[in-house]
Parts: sequence; C-alpha cells; structure tokens
Amino acid sequence: MFNSELTKHLAELSKLEFTDEELDKMTEDMTDIIAIMDKVCGFDTSKPAYALDAVDYNDLRADAHTNSYPTDKITANAKNVKNNSFVVPKVV
Amino acid sequence: MALKKLRDMLDKKEISAVELTEQYLDKIEKADKSINSYITVCAEGALEDAKKAQEKIDAGSANAFTGIPISVKDNICTMNVKTTCASKMLEDFVPPYDATVMEKLKKSNIVMLGKTNMDEFAMGGSSQTSYFGGVKNPYDLSRVTGGSSGGAAASVAGGLCAAALGSDTGGSVRQPASFCGVTGLKPTYGAVSRWGLIAFASSLDQIGVIAKSAEDTGYLLNGIYGYDANDATSSKKSEGGYTSLIGSDISGIKIGVPKEFFGDGLNDEVKQAVLSAAEYYKKLGCELVEVSLPSLEYAVSAYYLISSAEAASNLSRFDGIKYGTRSGLGDDYNDLIKNSRREGFGNEVKRRIMLGNYALCSGYYDAYYKNATRIRTQIRSEYKEIFEKCSLLLTPTAPTTAYKIGEQENDPVKMYLADIYTVTVNIAGLPAISTTCGYDKNGMPIGMSLIGKPFDEKTVISVCDRFERDFDKREAAL
Repeated sequence: MFNSELTKHLAELSKLEFTDEELDKMTEDMTDIIAIMDKVCGFDTSKPAYALDAVDYNDLRADAHTNSYPTDKITANAKNVKNNSFVVPKVV
Repeated sequence: MALKKLRDMLDKKEISAVELTEQYLDKIEKADKSINSYITVCAEGALEDAKKAQEKIDAGSANAFTGIPISVKDNICTMNVKTTCASKMLEDFVPPYDATVMEKLKKSNIVMLGKTNMDEFAMGGSSQTSYFGGVKNPYDLSRVTGGSSGGAAASVAGGLCAAALGSDTGGSVRQPASFCGVTGLKPTYGAVSRWGLIAFASSLDQIGVIAKSAEDTGYLLNGIYGYDANDATSSKKSEGGYTSLIGSDISGIKIGVPKEFFGDGLNDEVKQAVLSAAEYYKKLGCELVEVSLPSLEYAVSAYYLISSAEAASNLSRFDGIKYGTRSGLGDDYNDLIKNSRREGFGNEVKRRIMLGNYALCSGYYDAYYKNATRIRTQIRSEYKEIFEKCSLLLTPTAPTTAYKIGEQENDPVKMYLADIYTVTVNIAGLPAISTTCGYDKNGMPIGMSLIGKPFDEKTVISVCDRFERDFDKREAAL
C-alpha cells in the first residue's frame, strides 16, 4: 500500500524535496501508477529466465589515453566555479 | 518536398542552399508562433551552414545531405548550441561536443535550422510537459502533437524543416508522427549511435527520423546509422542502403496482424483504417497472417518499470553543481542537490524518478523490476516466434488520434496506458515505422505501424513506401 511515509522514503532516495501539499499529490499519483504496475506481479515467473543484460555490447574502447575536453569548456555550464573547480557547500 | 527532389534542385542550382534555408527560416518566423515546435531557432548558424554547403555544391563535392535543412530534437547534443531537453534543469546547457549523429551530418554540411520542442526529458506522449510551453498540432491547433518528439513531428508537418531527428524510447518518434500526419522511423536498437543523446532509458533509447515519407526517413537514416566506438551498444550489423528496396515487388510478403493489437481500447475509426491498410496489402499480393503476442497485456507495466528505473539512475547526474539549474537554497550539500532538483524538474519527471526508485527499492525489486525484465525476455521470445511466420507486423500506432490539449495529459495513468501499441518495439529492440493510413471524422490523421525484424529497416521502409504511393495524403493547413 502506497502512503506518505513511502513517498517520503522514495523522495529521500530520489534526492527530491516536496511541500506537504506536493507530497499528498505525489502519494495520490503514485498510488494510481503502482496499481497499473502491479500487473507485473501476476506474471508467470516460471516461464522466461531473469535476464538483466538486455542489450548486446560490442567492443569496449581500448584502455588508452585520449585527450579530454578543455577544462574551461567543461566548467562553462556550472553556475559556481572557482579556480577551475566546481564550488559546493562545505561538507566537512 | 521530398529530400531527393531537394537534392536535385540544389545540385541543378535551381535554388541555392542559402535561399532554401532562408525560405524555411521565414516560414519558422511566421508560423512557429502558432505551434511552438522550436525551442531554439539557429538562424545565424543555419545561414552559415548553408553558405558552407553552397561552396561544396559549387565545387562539385556535395553529397546526399549537403544543404538540406533539418530540425534536431532538443535532447540531442549540439556543440555550442543550447540543448535543454525541454527542462528548466538544462535551460542554459550548452554542450561542449556534438552527438555522433550530428558529427556525421555536419561532415556532410547539412543545415541545422534549430532545436525542437518535446516532453521534458522525453518523458511523455503529448509534448505538453515542456518547460518552454506545449506544442500544438498543425492539423488542429487545439490538439496535442503527441510526444515526446512532438516538436520534431510538428516541424515536419508544418513545413518548418525538410526532415527531423527525434528520439524514441517507448514510441516517441512513431506516436507524434501518427498524430501529426507524417512518417516516423524508429531504427533497430544499436543501428544508430546514442552518443550525445541525453539518456532517459539507455536500454530502450534510440535516435530516429521523422519526415514527409518513408523514403525520406530511409534517406536520412543513411546519413546517421553505423557503429560508433563511443557507444558500446551500437552495432556493426547495419549495412545502410535503406532505400534500396523501394520500388521492388512486395507481393508474397507475409504481414502478421497481431490480434491483441485490435482488441478493447482501440478507437473504432483507427481500427477500421488500419484494417483497410491490411486489405490494401492483400490486394497487392501480400499474405496476411494472424499472429499473437500474448504478453502485450504486461507490456505497459514492464516498460514503465524498466524505463523509470533506468531514468532514476540516469537523471541522478543532475545535481545542479556540474551543470544545470543550481538552487540558491540549501546550506549543505544534500539540501543544495534536493532543492536544485526540486526547482529544475517538472512533475512528470519527478513521478518517473520516484517510480524508478520504487522499482529498484529493497523489498520491491524482485516483484517489480525483476519481473519486468522477465516480461522483456518473454516479449522478445514471442516476437522471435512471430517472425518465423512473417516478415513484418501491421498494427495501429496509437489507440486514438490526437486529442484536445488539456483532455488527457494531466492524467498519468491514462497517458501510460496509451503507449500500449508502441512500447513492445523498444522492449524487443525492433525497427518500426509509422505512417498515415486515414483521417478521423475531425480530419485528424490516423497512424499505422509496420514492425520489422532486427536490422531489416529496408523491408519496413519499402513496404511502407508502397502504401504511401497510393494513399491520398492531406497536408496540414499551417
């Protein structure tokens, strides 16, 4: 059963923040959505094997040194940059 | 106008690449206000591209794409041109590199007119979840375009480009093509490199083509297919020559009609139009074979669990620090990320992330994600069996035609269930094309799909082309 506690738990895992009103709406939406998803629980699991790898992989790239993009191009999209580094709130 | 005809006109100097580009830019300027198909119009860049293309044409070194003006979905990275994914999160994002498909086309001096509108992060089937406003259908401005490549489909239908690149994770090329009366091709998984396509669900995502005809989709696919070392899932099996079977005799081809695609929930006008198309093929000497995909009933749930699980992981990179919206709120690292994601993502994206984490969550993983992957294996095996009996499948593209804006897109459950006829193609990694096969009582286009064997785009395109040649198509009056 979907409830607001589960929504809060998933929001934490999802790194999302909701107001109380948004949390109620999300709980309501998720209840309806999970009701459709429940369909998979009725699937006869004895039939196909569990296959995590659904795609074929070709050759992986050689483990060789290649040039990377210039630092200024990489940091150009960040809102807060200092000395060629991304600025984050103090962690420790 | 057909891409081959445009090529001919450019080569014969009946029109210059600059004049052709100016014509499209003029039309975008005049008409796009009413449909909102572009997020970014690259007028200056397009004219620069066109000048360079004309130099190639004048020097006699043009190839198939030189000077052809196209639109590009805004989740395909374009160097030095904003790529927003129709999200506030990437409102100002300017990629430092080109997607492989763009690298390929730029080498041919194609002209990029701009970046097209879409559902945010390609999550949706209406193109109404864009941070930059919804897209309107050129056939009826009060109706949706479908999605997520709604801007791409509308730009083609409205004559605002010669062809378009889109992406298809669960029907996002085919369904808007169906709603907007154009042709949309989703290639086999691995046929086109995903490098530079902003990831939604990596095992399902595929770049595709939207154009005025099946022949044009094959024409453009010839320019973007192929193995790419930057995408380990891209394949070496594709051979190109996608229009080579056009005009060949299709009599004797076995076309499967899966009974589950014509059951409850399918609009009657859509059903009749698709069955009439089946009769058309029969008259041409094709053999219609009734086939069955029993696991279709599980497809929508399996698709949403797998795609959302992958999305939850792929979208975890958007933290507001390296790129994207950065919130002014939050004193610590965790709060900064949460607030940035809260401000940057729209409601549908948040729902998908939540659903994905639910499916992957301890205690739910076995019942949901693991079962969804079992269903994926089962659907693949059912398709394999089907393709032992026939070369192609004919199905409706969507249960309905384009609906009124505001009528359905705010109900996530209704929206998810409407993907029933497109998602199995992505689950099984197959090629499929959607084209118009009729019009409903409101004059809205009805789409049918042809689904092919892996890497058999040539047959899909040629059989679709045969239908289009005899079909009386109505253009959108934009």
